[in-house]
Amino acid sequence: MARRRLLLTGPSRRSRRGDVVGIALLAVLLVVFPLVATPSVINVGVYALIYGLAALGLSLLMGLAGQVSLGQAGFFAIGAYTQGVLVTRYDFGGLAASVIAVAVTMTAALLVGLPLLRLRGHYLALATLGFGVIVAVLASESDFLGATSGIYGIAKPEMNNRLYNSSTEYFLLLVPVVLIGLLLARNVVESRIGRALGAVNDSEVAAESLGVDTFRLRVQVFVLSAAYASVAGTAFAHWLGVVNPNASNFPLSVKFLLMAVLGGVGTVYGAVVGAFAVEGLDDGLRRLIPELVPGAVGEVQLIGFGILLTAIMIFLPGGLHQLWTTVRRRLAARAGPGDGPSGAEAKAPPDEGPLLAREGRPAPGTPLLEVRGLTKRFGGVTAVDGFDLTVDAGEIVALIGPNGAGKTTAFNMISGPVVPTAGTVTMAGTRVEGRKPHVFARAGATRTFQNLQIFTTATVLGNVMVGRHLRSTSGLLGAALVLPARREERAVEASARELLELLGLGADADRLAVDLPFGRQRLVEIARALALEPDLLLLDEPMAGLSGAERRDLARLLRRLRAGGMAIVLVEHDVEAVLALADRVAVLEDGVRIALGTPDEVRHDPAVVAAYLGVEPEDADAVAVADSGPAGLP
Amino acid sequence: MRRTAPARAAALLAALTLGLAACAESESGGGGGGGGAADESGPIKIGAVLDITGAGASLGVPERQALELLASQLQEEGGIDGREVELIIEDNQSTEDGAAKAINKLVNEDEVDLVLGASRTGPSLAMRPVAESNQIPMISLAANQAIVDGSEWVFKTAQNDRVVIERMIDYMADQGHTTIGLARDASGFGEGVQEMFDEIGAAEGISVVAAEKFAPDATDFTAQMVNLRNAAADINVIWGIPPAAGLAQQAYVQLGIAAPVMQSHGIGNQVFLDTAGDSAEGLVAPLGRLVVADQLPEDDPQADVINEFVEAYTAEYDQGPSTFAGHAYDGWQLAIDALREVGTDKQAVRDHLEGLEDVVGISGTFTMSPDDHSGLTKEALVLVTVENGAWKLLPDQGTGG
Amino acid sequence: MTDLLQLLFAGLSQGAVYALIAIGFVAIFTVSGVINLAQGEFAALAGLVAISAAGGGMLLPAAAVLAVSTVAIVAVVMERLVIFPVRGMTTLVSLILTLGVSTGLKALMLLIYGPDAKGLEPLFPGAFDLAGVSIRYQELLILAVAGVVALAVYWFYEKTLAGKSLRACAEQPVAARLVGISLSRASLLSFLIAGCVGAIGGVLASPIYFTGWESGLTLGLKGFVAATLGGLVSVRGAVLGGLLLGVLENLTAGYISTGLRDAVAFFLLIVVLVARPSGIFGRHAEARV
Repeated sequence: MARRRLLLTGPSRRSRRGDVVGIALLAVLLVVFPLVATPSVINVGVYALIYGLAALGLSLLMGLAGQVSLGQAGFFAIGAYTQGVLVTRYDFGGLAASVIAVAVTMTAALLVGLPLLRLRGHYLALATLGFGVIVAVLASESDFLGATSGIYGIAKPEMNNRLYNSSTEYFLLLVPVVLIGLLLARNVVESRIGRALGAVNDSEVAAESLGVDTFRLRVQVFVLSAAYASVAGTAFAHWLGVVNPNASNFPLSVKFLLMAVLGGVGTVYGAVVGAFAVEGLDDGLRRLIPELVPGAVGEVQLIGFGILLTAIMIFLPGGLHQLWTTVRRRLAARAGPGDGPSGAEAKAPPDEGPLLAREGRPAPGTPLLEVRGLTKRFGGVTAVDGFDLTVDAGEIVALIGPNGAGKTTAFNMISGPVVPTAGTVTMAGTRVEGRKPHVFARAGATRTFQNLQIFTTATVLGNVMVGRHLRSTSGLLGAALVLPARREERAVEASARELLELLGLGADADRLAVDLPFGRQRLVEIARALALEPDLLLLDEPMAGLSGAERRDLARLLRRLRAGGMAIVLVEHDVEAVLALADRVAVLEDGVRIALGTPDEVRHDPAVVAAYLGVEPEDADAVAVADSGPAGLP
Repeated sequence: MRRTAPARAAALLAALTLGLAACAESESGGGGGGGGAADESGPIKIGAVLDITGAGASLGVPERQALELLASQLQEEGGIDGREVELIIEDNQSTEDGAAKAINKLVNEDEVDLVLGASRTGPSLAMRPVAESNQIPMISLAANQAIVDGSEWVFKTAQNDRVVIERMIDYMADQGHTTIGLARDASGFGEGVQEMFDEIGAAEGISVVAAEKFAPDATDFTAQMVNLRNAAADINVIWGIPPAAGLAQQAYVQLGIAAPVMQSHGIGNQVFLDTAGDSAEGLVAPLGRLVVADQLPEDDPQADVINEFVEAYTAEYDQGPSTFAGHAYDGWQLAIDALREVGTDKQAVRDHLEGLEDVVGISGTFTMSPDDHSGLTKEALVLVTVENGAWKLLPDQGTGG
Repeated sequence: MTDLLQLLFAGLSQGAVYALIAIGFVAIFTVSGVINLAQGEFAALAGLVAISAAGGGMLLPAAAVLAVSTVAIVAVVMERLVIFPVRGMTTLVSLILTLGVSTGLKALMLLIYGPDAKGLEPLFPGAFDLAGVSIRYQELLILAVAGVVALAVYWFYEKTLAGKSLRACAEQPVAARLVGISLSRASLLSFLIAGCVGAIGGVLASPIYFTGWESGLTLGLKGFVAATLGGLVSVRGAVLGGLLLGVLENLTAGYISTGLRDAVAFFLLIVVLVARPSGIFGRHAEARV
């Protein structure tokens, strides 16, 4: 599971504020629009609002979950058909029907998503494409759904004795719906869920190690995205008065995709702006092209779509949002160069007391992690062979050995990303071998990575807040509806800042994590792991790249954590540092544990001495890369 | 914390929008079309929604040509009582949603006085509710009777599929056939056809024993024809429009099905003859008199109208009109006649259309009533075959003719 | 039995067309990881060029050659303009990019050739009966030419130096660069191959299945499904996938319902992607990541 190449990098957390400005601006424009536009332009606007909702859902899916759907129209159609059937056959009111329609669509999305979301990237895109076509075919085969003619005679909505039958009225009816949709979407993006998914896009393995259940969240966002499509579908059904299998056709899915991409994937207001741009272009080209090319009939406007879609992907992958942020940045730069906080020289507090002791932690000495007969074979090579280890609460265990001894592989099997060939791993009573990293995290353990897995698009604070994922609870719905989530968000932020202060990272909290020097990025990873308040912490070469002073600070920190009751397992190259720090040391060579004991026992073990003689630490790096964490996963 | 302020602002804006929206709504009053008093100044607007592209293009294109021709003729004559008549044509891309979109635009945006179209059944059915709810007269050019059944505002000029099927059943009874194999268009044009054959055929002991469907844009008919061959009915019916109907005819002959074949009234154009090629020889179809204009007896009441139209159309476009052009002609003439007689008051136009009696058109002689918004009987159709690549009036018109 | 044979035969000739298009997908995907959603448009464009050339009085074989070369040029230009300049191309990005090209090409065809679907006149019109199975000469031609083309492509990849180096690019990009195989040229070549086989498929299919500006969508998607059935990286798999798909579609149409014909392909697509992403004929597993 290599670090996934991103389709489209999500917006950096720093630019999210642009969303609020965007939404506000959009709100004003949408209200003014019908007052100034001609009827034919408003008519275009109605379609833009309807399609914009579906595109917004798609944009969320792409921006948050990093997944592309080419079958968004399928959910659009399910929503529209359900609405049509309920209104025309069973005399439901429009509002009640649309609630049911959205529920039906979300159920369908869940059923479709459970198998399909196990696929990734282009496979998912193509499978959803298939889904869209299947919906269209089934609809045209179903007599109940009116076969190819579909369902017609869906009346314009009537509320409070007002019939919304002109384009102006329908537009104004839709504006609040779209704005609410935008606000909900923004809340989700800003929420715990949005943060976790952003982290998944940056480093899936790191996010999972912090307890993020990637699959579950992806399914949730997929279902949410379908819900947007179905709201659009119900609005479409009423406006057009007819729903037929074309509502699920591939070109419509492409149109949604174009809108999302044009507006800027992941920016919530972008999809709506994109929808106006695309619909405007659609209408304009329909009129323009027949003037330029005599005799042109049919969907000639597609030429503009094709060129636009291609050109954006090549020249402006961030869509209109990218254009907008670039312009703003230029303006801001002219106004005066801003400088980020430096804060490089923050001192760790000299305090020596126990850290992060908390209620309910296992008493020191109780067995926490039990590894039995852990084995991994890659083809003919046995990387780890029958590895046994027991770690008790409140002790520091070091895992050392020459390069290529299988330390990181053992780590990866214990923490989840690598499935062992044989053996068991029990963490606090839960069997975790072969399970995903988030299961390990849920059992109270997490890890850091030898080759850093920092969430590159997030700030230092944002990185650490992801670590609080399991210590907070708000779900998608709560996040969308703001209130309970908002309070929890404040608590999460406060505790993350507290932790950063503790590690001396307080001054860097609002900088992008990738802008920090290497050593401090390691500290960010540790802070992120600590935010989980784990009972067991696995550290993969935490000292690498740190200065002498930083190493001493880190060692002091680890001792304080031990005093707080935490168990720590570390893989480390700096043997002297390890022997000074650890309570017990395990030595691996060629995948076999050749020694286990106190630092003193190990120091004088003849097998260990033999193993360490004749090893050239210089060619360590090349081997380390091959043997390193996530890059070496299947 | 920092994020809440802008969020609150946005929420406020949303609330504001809701309020504003409510205000704007109450100001804009009734809005929309409706059957209110007609505007008696400015041009009279006639909207047309046609299948110009897509599966129905072979119908919609000649219809557009006919309408454009007639509109320019009217223009030269000086319009109706000095008022210009503006024709606005929209393409529905042969789709139901395209048709609904188009009629919504014509009604809301262009505020037309009357709507013609669509070319095929499905799109016409999609347009019907819009016409009804906006109370605007609509004249469809398509066949399926469902378009006008129980309708107040919708009329049509193509022969009902019911009268077509009556004519076909008459012929089958004459020939002594009792079992039918049917391959029908899967879209609106073919919907309900099987049931109607059974219903009308019941009296003669004729019934459908095998039914297959094909999409209007299908190109491969092997599966359908294999199944028809197996059914071994006395006679087979292919019910579709070109080019699909022509390709199905080809497959029928290629797979060597021995039973005779009938086609529907959906094939009355050159595109069918072109796509079916040699395989069309000998088929029988009930069509309007237009395709055999040159073979009509001189005393035929429609002869004058048809010949005049054929002449004008051929002079303009260098090719003869199809039956679909004829449906458009009829639709236009009925509309203009009503507008000329009663002006643009929509209710009056509707009432006038419903009261039409013995109006001679291309597709037949129209007599409308509150129960019949189609106005044609099976006498509007003649049985036609194909001989040497051209339409030929069947000498024996059977009991129906 | 006759019916089954008739349906099988119709399925095989249709499947041969899918197979040719599927080969195009494989040719490009193996080199650059690009899924070219404009592959179907290559076929449609070839059909339309041939129809209009033949309509203008050109001899059929000449029209076919003109069509294939036109499409080859289009494919190469597309690679240089759209695929080559993009840094950090991923399969997902390529989907969106080629979708854009596909949409543009479609509109271009609509503008140039109009909205109506037409059929190229067959080289050998007519049909004959064999044990009650009616076979069109054109169907035989499709099977024969598709067979020859598939063998030629297979031979090219397995036996020639250029073909082997293309495979090397796909399997070992770094190694390929080290021994002097340019990825850029390999990518260009793969588009050329895809353009040619797609175009041949389009010209062959036109007399029976007709060609219109929109034909490429279905052809392309079905071709993609065929390629996926074969694991997306194997020419052999693509051909088998195409034939299998064609046959299954016709059997479904004949024995279940003609309306479900188009669903078969996509149902298979989803099942295969979820259950066996390496394709049903694939041997070496390709990761889903």
